[in-house]
Amino acid sequence: MSAETARKFQALEDQAQNILSVFCASDYETVVPSIIQPADLFLDFVGEDLRRRTYVFTDPEGSELCLRPDLTIPTCDLHWQRYGRTSASGRYCYNGPAFRFQPNGDDSYHPREFRQVGIEFFGNAQYEAAETEVLALIIKTLKSVGLQNFKIRIGDIGIFEALLGALDIPTRWRQRLKSQFCRPNAFRAALKEMSSRPSVTFEGVPEDLLRDINELKSRNVEQIIFQYLDRHNIEFIGARSVYEIAQNLTAMIEDLQGEPISVAKRELLESYLNVDAPVRAAGARIRDLMRANGLSLSGALEIYDRRLKNFIASDIDLSRLYFSANFGGRLGYYTGFVFEVHATGLDFNVPIAGGGRYDKLMRVVGANADVPAVGAMIHTERLLRAFEVNQL
Amino acid sequence: MSENLIIGVPSKGRLTEQTGEAFSKVGLHISKTGSERGYHGKISDINNVEVSFISTAEIANSLKTGRIHLGVVGEDLIREEIIGVNDHVKFLKKLDFGHVDVVVAVPDCWIDVWRMRDVEIAAQIYRRHHHRRMSVATKYINLTRQHFMCHGISDYRIVESLGATEDIPMTGKADMIVDETSTGATLKTNNLRILNGNDGVILRSEVNLIASKTVEWTPETRAVENEILSRFGI
Repeated sequence: MSAETARKFQALEDQAQNILSVFCASDYETVVPSIIQPADLFLDFVGEDLRRRTYVFTDPEGSELCLRPDLTIPTCDLHWQRYGRTSASGRYCYNGPAFRFQPNGDDSYHPREFRQVGIEFFGNAQYEAAETEVLALIIKTLKSVGLQNFKIRIGDIGIFEALLGALDIPTRWRQRLKSQFCRPNAFRAALKEMSSRPSVTFEGVPEDLLRDINELKSRNVEQIIFQYLDRHNIEFIGARSVYEIAQNLTAMIEDLQGEPISVAKRELLESYLNVDAPVRAAGARIRDLMRANGLSLSGALEIYDRRLKNFIASDIDLSRLYFSANFGGRLGYYTGFVFEVHATGLDFNVPIAGGGRYDKLMRVVGANADVPAVGAMIHTERLLRAFEVNQL
Repeated sequence: MSENLIIGVPSKGRLTEQTGEAFSKVGLHISKTGSERGYHGKISDINNVEVSFISTAEIANSLKTGRIHLGVVGEDLIREEIIGVNDHVKFLKKLDFGHVDVVVAVPDCWIDVWRMRDVEIAAQIYRRHHHRRMSVATKYINLTRQHFMCHGISDYRIVESLGATEDIPMTGKADMIVDETSTGATLKTNNLRILNGNDGVILRSEVNLIASKTVEWTPETRAVENEILSRFGI
């Protein structure tokens, strides 16, 4: 239970104030977003996975609202309301409650009401520099409140994307593998399907329709669809457009004509995703893997090295860091570098801090293009628990 | 807590009649005590039983929270209302009435969508074109989430529907639905089609006799339960 007693509340509050003072000393501006937020802001972007954990309610005027499940999106909103342009930069920090339904029950590691203390750094186009600044500040903060024993797990979906890009496979397969990156079971199923023969089947989709579209390439696909619907007395209803259906059917035909993913490619993807090692060893391992398969991924791996150099320059102790290729963040909105901090003595499933890059998030609050954004937050209840556990 | 075993049965409609018939068949006769419009009843021949006539949603909820010992209710409601079903209740017997399927249905004109995999792809294309998520109207929020999660789909939004769901895609308030159906006829008139195979059927449900695991069982209530179960051949 969170903050059940006055003493516990005071301990959390004191710790949060200490953390916040470190953030402020590094020129991060304190902001205080509203606890009650419009539900759409969160749910349109993060989807049902988070929605099932969000306290949503309707007010007497019928507006759908929620108790904020996180402070990052409200902070994006605040920044966008203030500047309204993608080039504006800003550094923010916050300290306040957030709320999530805990499907497996509310406990001291998974409180449904928790105090989130965090930072957001928007608009810096020097990617690795911004990522280093955020990670270094989180480490400095954790040390300043007394945490000594911890490991940091990092990941970068950018390397995986580069690997997909370097493999000669249909675009749609790439998109699908990328979108399932955070869901290991669905990912394995997709990869298995793409590597078997026939690699895809569209069971149910009328074969004569696909044949017509394939044979009459010169004709308008939408027209072929309408004729098919007329012939079968099917009424066209709903918001999904015939254009979308045409696009999907056309891509299906390409998929059907594509070659399955070869054993070598599948093994390469699997070997890459199994990389889980101290950061330097991981970099070397990935390079070896690519070399053995005749690929370079030079861009993505240069970024990886540059980031490590920046880490060293900022006094980040690399021996604490290890890289997991299959780690893309627990929320699915990260677009590149991610990290989470694991305190010694706490379960692997309860990182005490985490963050990363999410360049698409500003779009949710109105931006019409990506905005460079890196942020991180500290689970203050878990941090307090880490001290308790280690004292025992 | 009294020493009586409390059994919740549907308070109105066809389900009330069918419950009475199912119990009569095994020699148990449910009747109201007091007024015909009252909410209390008894079972002939068995002492220490209180029959409570309540709504089906309340039966599911009371089994979960342990306000009743036994309940007669559809599996669909139990699976929708209770997270962690096996921790809270035990299914004792299918009663062979109240058959409904909880199904995933899409507009028939989506000739490219026949399985959940196709829904996943359609949802991704939809999001790129409409800058919002494809929406699913349903009253089965938890069953829908489980089914979609199981198929690795998160690019969608649930629109909660409290009344008739089948005509929602026609009116444009949502793109597809998850709903109960017994014959599929209403879906057809609303230009909808159930997805193929297991992808389209989330649950084949019927009314069950169900026991609560959260209620405090005493030797007395257990004895009454055994007597009822033995009549049902359990």
